Amino acid sequence: MAEFVCRYCRIPSDPTGPSCPSCGAPIDVRDVVSDSGWEEQPPIRDMAKIAFGGSTCQVEGTTVPVADFGLNGNESIFFSHHSVLWTEPTVTMNAMSMAGGWNRVRAGLPLVMMNARGPGHIALSEDSPGEVIALPMRPGHQVHVREHRFFAATTTVGYKWNQSGVWYTTGQGDDTEYHYPVGYNIDAFQTDGANGLLLLHAPGNVFVRNLAARQPICIQPTSLLYKDASVGMALHIEYPNAGLMSWSTRYSYRQVWLRLWGPGRVAVQSVYERPEGSEWITGTSGATETRW
Amino acid sequence: MERIECQWCKAQNEAGQSTCSTCGAPLDARNKVSDSGWKEAPRLRDMTEFRFSSSTCQVEGELVPVAELNLASGDSVFFEHHVLLWKDESTPLSALNTGGGIKRMLGGMPHVVSIAHGPGRVAFSRDAAGEVVVLPMHPSMEIDVREHAFLVASHSISYSFVRIKGMTNVLHGEGMFMDRFVTSGEQGILLLHGYGNVFERTLRPGEKILIEPGGFLYKDSSVTMNTVQQNVKTGMMRHGMFLAEMTGPGRVGIQSMYVHAGAE
Repeated sequence: MAEFVCRYCRIPSDPTGPSCPSCGAPIDVRDVVSDSGWEEQPPIRDMAKIAFGGSTCQVEGTTVPVADFGLNGNESIFFSHHSVLWTEPTVTMNAMSMAGGWNRVRAGLPLVMMNARGPGHIALSEDSPGEVIALPMRPGHQVHVREHRFFAATTTVGYKWNQSGVWYTTGQGDDTEYHYPVGYNIDAFQTDGANGLLLLHAPGNVFVRNLAARQPICIQPTSLLYKDASVGMALHIEYPNAGLMSWSTRYSYRQVWLRLWGPGRVAVQSVYERPEGSEWITGTSGATETRW
Repeated sequence: MERIECQWCKAQNEAGQSTCSTCGAPLDARNKVSDSGWKEAPRLRDMTEFRFSSSTCQVEGELVPVAELNLASGDSVFFEHHVLLWKDESTPLSALNTGGGIKRMLGGMPHVVSIAHGPGRVAFSRDAAGEVVVLPMHPSMEIDVREHAFLVASHSISYSFVRIKGMTNVLHGEGMFMDRFVTSGEQGILLLHGYGNVFERTLRPGEKILIEPGGFLYKDSSVTMNTVQQNVKTGMMRHGMFLAEMTGPGRVGIQSMYVHAGAE
């Protein structure tokens, strides 16, 4: 009999259960794929349980889901301190040592990351309606996550943050202003010798796409949720054909895209921030252009 | 005659009913309880209707639900004035001074609550995605509710407030108001708006749970609340993380969406 593999986390799973024990995705639902190839990530069902090591994570609620971790004595998770909703007194919480504090403050990232160790329950929630996305990680797996989307992870997952390297400037001389459309930093998560579980929180709905080698896609920079480390990214700037309108119209209505190319997975969230202003772009970290 | 007990408010209902006539909770849906013992507040079905006193309440919508009341003559409800979504032109309104004016103003709390009198229709909603939580109150009950969570309450409930010093406030960082609702000889109904999803847990005597203050929604007055500080050291800096320690016996309600003052 062929082994059943969850189509969302790609880990061998139990086809008879209501949800995948590794990522919580419902098993008994039809695959929903748009004509363009985006696969809708089905929301984790209310009260679905994810198993990792000897511990569990139960996802409760559907509007602003809560991740309720039942940790055994040997397992621990890390998360941003503002995500704690409640905890049992038996759970031990400590701050993680975070190098590069100034850079994190500058990038608006939480300076204090917490570590919780069992035994006991601790529950986390975020501050906007959306979905909890569970990414089980096998050894050697590396994903990049847009800043502020990280929710929680097992301590078997390594965490570092790198400069996104994606920027453009407006203005000149002393008026030069730097813009980081995908964020100043990007979070990088990697597993080495052990399995791990990474949880993200995405406002709105989540869609996933597998890009073939060198296959490009342009997305709103702030809609990026995560991507495999193998997926490349750079800016792509489009200038519309302004026809008979003034030449400045072309520059005022330019679109700044995040251009991604495969191979690998890309996930977007349907809620994103309004793109930044429309000043003339004077420099970039490297961008392709289309002038229609 | 066969009766069905509502799993949320424990009211008895006639067999064959699909929703509780006292609180609107679905009677034909399974009670959802997590492994850790939190019970989900029932998601009221769109257009669910239930009765209180001689009036009715219909809950409309599911993302930001509206509570629409059809007040009978002689019935009235009170509420913070900014939660009023619409009213019949002929529905009379009056105001009640809660006292503590300047302190409540400084705390961002209204010092006047409005009252709508029957007969007539009024409708209420809050400003973000969440749930309407219906708490029927039996005589001699006392419930404490976090500030800005109260949607509307029936006239038989008396209203006061207390200021909790040292508790991190969602908006102002220092201290928070807690609304107190008490029934004496008559039943009443209290409607709250919880942001995100709402969960309830019943603590045994002496049982403790630590809750992020922004996630606290309501509690029975028998549950004691204390502020506990967790010292978190990061390099040269030390951060104080404040949590609310709840000790049973009694019910505690939490909401899953909040803004932590220290995270802004």
